[in-house]
Amino acid sequence: MDIKTVAVVGANGTLGVGVSAIFASFGDAKVYMVSRTLEKSNQAIIKAGKSVKANSIIDNMVAKDYSEIEECIKESDLIIETIAEELNAKKQIHETINKYMKNTAIASSITSGISINELSKCYNEENKKRFMGIHFFNPPYNMLLCELIPSKYTDKNVENDVKEYLEKKLIRKVIKVKDGPGFLANRIGFQFINQAMQYADEYKNQGGIDYIDTILGAFTGRNMSPIATADFVGLDVHKAIVDNIYANTNDYLHESFKLPHYVNKLIERGKIGAKVDDGLYKYSGSLVYDIKNDEYREIRKYDIPFIDKVIENFKVGDYKEGINVIIKDKSSEAKICRNLLVSYIIYSISISKQIAENKTDCDIAMAEGFNWIPPYSLIELIGKENCKEIALNELKYSKSKVKEIFDEDIAAKYRYEKFMKAKR
Amino acid sequence: MKKVYILGGAQTDFERNWTKEGKGVIALLKEVVFSALNNTNISLEEIKNLNKKNKIAIFIGNFCAEYYIQQGHLGPLLTEVSDVFYGIPSARYEAACASGSVAIDAAMTKIKAGDYDIALVIGWELMKTVDSKICGDYLGRAAFYEKEAKGIEFPFPKLFGKLADEYVKKYKLDENRYKRNLAKISSINYENAKRNPNAQTRKWFMNEKQANSRGEATNEEIGNMLSISDCSQVTDGAAAVILASEDYVNANNIKDKPYIKGYGHRVAPYLFDKKIQESKNDEYILPWTRQAIVDAYNRAELTVDDIDVFETHDCFTSSEYAAISCFGITDPGKEYEAIENGDISFNGKKPINPSGGLIGCGHPVGASGVRMMLDLYKQVTNTAGEYQVKNVINAMMLNIGGSATTNYSYIVGKESIK
Repeated sequence: MDIKTVAVVGANGTLGVGVSAIFASFGDAKVYMVSRTLEKSNQAIIKAGKSVKANSIIDNMVAKDYSEIEECIKESDLIIETIAEELNAKKQIHETINKYMKNTAIASSITSGISINELSKCYNEENKKRFMGIHFFNPPYNMLLCELIPSKYTDKNVENDVKEYLEKKLIRKVIKVKDGPGFLANRIGFQFINQAMQYADEYKNQGGIDYIDTILGAFTGRNMSPIATADFVGLDVHKAIVDNIYANTNDYLHESFKLPHYVNKLIERGKIGAKVDDGLYKYSGSLVYDIKNDEYREIRKYDIPFIDKVIENFKVGDYKEGINVIIKDKSSEAKICRNLLVSYIIYSISISKQIAENKTDCDIAMAEGFNWIPPYSLIELIGKENCKEIALNELKYSKSKVKEIFDEDIAAKYRYEKFMKAKR
Repeated sequence: MKKVYILGGAQTDFERNWTKEGKGVIALLKEVVFSALNNTNISLEEIKNLNKKNKIAIFIGNFCAEYYIQQGHLGPLLTEVSDVFYGIPSARYEAACASGSVAIDAAMTKIKAGDYDIALVIGWELMKTVDSKICGDYLGRAAFYEKEAKGIEFPFPKLFGKLADEYVKKYKLDENRYKRNLAKISSINYENAKRNPNAQTRKWFMNEKQANSRGEATNEEIGNMLSISDCSQVTDGAAAVILASEDYVNANNIKDKPYIKGYGHRVAPYLFDKKIQESKNDEYILPWTRQAIVDAYNRAELTVDDIDVFETHDCFTSSEYAAISCFGITDPGKEYEAIENGDISFNGKKPINPSGGLIGCGHPVGASGVRMMLDLYKQVTNTAGEYQVKNVINAMMLNIGGSATTNYSYIVGKESIK
């Protein structure tokens, strides 16, 4: 597949900038960056060069505004829509793309919330075959995951050609997933984050947000604690994602997608996270929102002995010994930690089975989209028997569910060591 | 003389920043040692047996842990990895960026002498404990510090920048063409690294155009003609190879393992200026680097025609440029031919650095010699995965310390085929 020219519509957003840079650099394509004003597009080009640390790609990018969108679409081999998540606005763009796209061009959307099948209705019978969702993750230079979401009309050959192009030319890690709210990675990732937010509410007397974030810290296989992650993503974005999943799915963890009241309250006050330095945390002052007292206070360093023991072990590369502390420790904190980890494994695999091609695709999703410990690597670390015991005795899963998830022996694709940090 | 075989080994993922992970040298060693034992099917029981018979020893390559992690006396560190290593003779070998090679040399020599059957060689460096300027100063200790590095910001890019200048001067090269050739070397290494799952830069973007954009904000000049794209990076990592005696291989019925066919080890004048002075009338700019390679060919009774793939010490693009003629791929002064006609590319006649080399794969200084040896092993045994070069019988490496002051070369090849 030869992609010489790409049009990115909505190019001045964070993802628009990052994705344009990937096509202009690895893809060596000419990229039309379309946004509301030429000034915004020009700024986006500068940011794009920085995002891949290569100003030499700037020559590959052309600033455009909507007055020239027709010409951009007409000339492009691939058109990517990445505007705000509003159905009507998106539909309008896709109808325009349908009208002007070449009969060999590929059209796509980087939505994380809107149905690809719904958007495909904007295309005529022929163009429908060449439309699909291509979901990149932020920032694309560091996060290699690409979810490819064909609609029910997408041509299989086109789909495979795009997959190959993304993998070979753009060095992406591609998984094909079915159309559905949050697709795969966000469904799994935001389930975990939102559940952590709910736990923070439940344990608000113990400290709430920073208490749960401490229990699910870097030593549990991630760079950043989950609730802090939501703050970085933006609470408004977090809300849009979980509300959409909550409204449009009904799986066994349905209630865990319900946004806690305190988060809604903060969003209403405009405290939407790190981008305004005001949200669940205030980074400049090392403050955290205290749910119980509805006020900010200093982040606490909780005295939770099991965490120190885990870190001591990880520090010297004794991963099994470290994880055994999490499995065996009698404290309520260790129980929360292992329960959420095992719940994460079970949910990841369950959803992967439903909407991905392979049930192990959840490993690629979480490693390459979130930089979190992949579920099958975590099984390898915790041990299958331990996972089963926790699932049965503490999480009260049925025997058949536990059997379904854990009985098959599957070798993990990723080594667990690098994910398990020796840090809080 | 009896042969010294390579049974296999392992390297860590050079993308990792162990400081950011909160981990130190014991975690690093534990991971690389157990991965290497796993790769070679050597059990802990077997290590105990060998130790009982005093037939196993450990050789550590490391440049300057004293600075980076405030730890000296590195030989015994493996006793902290596992009690199975209690009692096993173990010491650290140092020759700057060629520390890995000098550790391999010591191991090989003890095996040849019949003292040991198994040698575990581990090269490692943790460099991301400090910022790049301090790191550059620490590395300056691989030059003659007092005269070439003290008080100088990034001394090594400047020394290899000088090498670039001398190259253009000596062979009357067109400077722009030479710089384009260096950019090509850089982009080949980055491209090769994309196929290597342990390479530091496997996700990074670099192409010829970017490598040629020297002086831009995203490719700052750092030493005369050299820019950031011409440099290897600061890397954390470890590599291990396990060497075995001919008796051990025969007694255990181990088949199809390659052996070390030849080596060369030469030391050039310490100061870079003296190197240039000395070689003024020589056809090579780095005659002792060339000599180390000639020695390896002679000991192996092979020539450049017999070598199917090379791993070289591209700490900077200018050092890989010089290596091309030292290997004998071209005459000195004609290196551009092999770059421009694609000979040194992954699919070329004489591929250099399919691993990505120091620029693409990474350069944890004490590990690099061992990492190269491991990559020769992989290429010869057809186990390099996506970065496997086709039909490899013999492979050669060049590992240098300082400004090509210590020069080490090895040839690894298959049995019974010359």
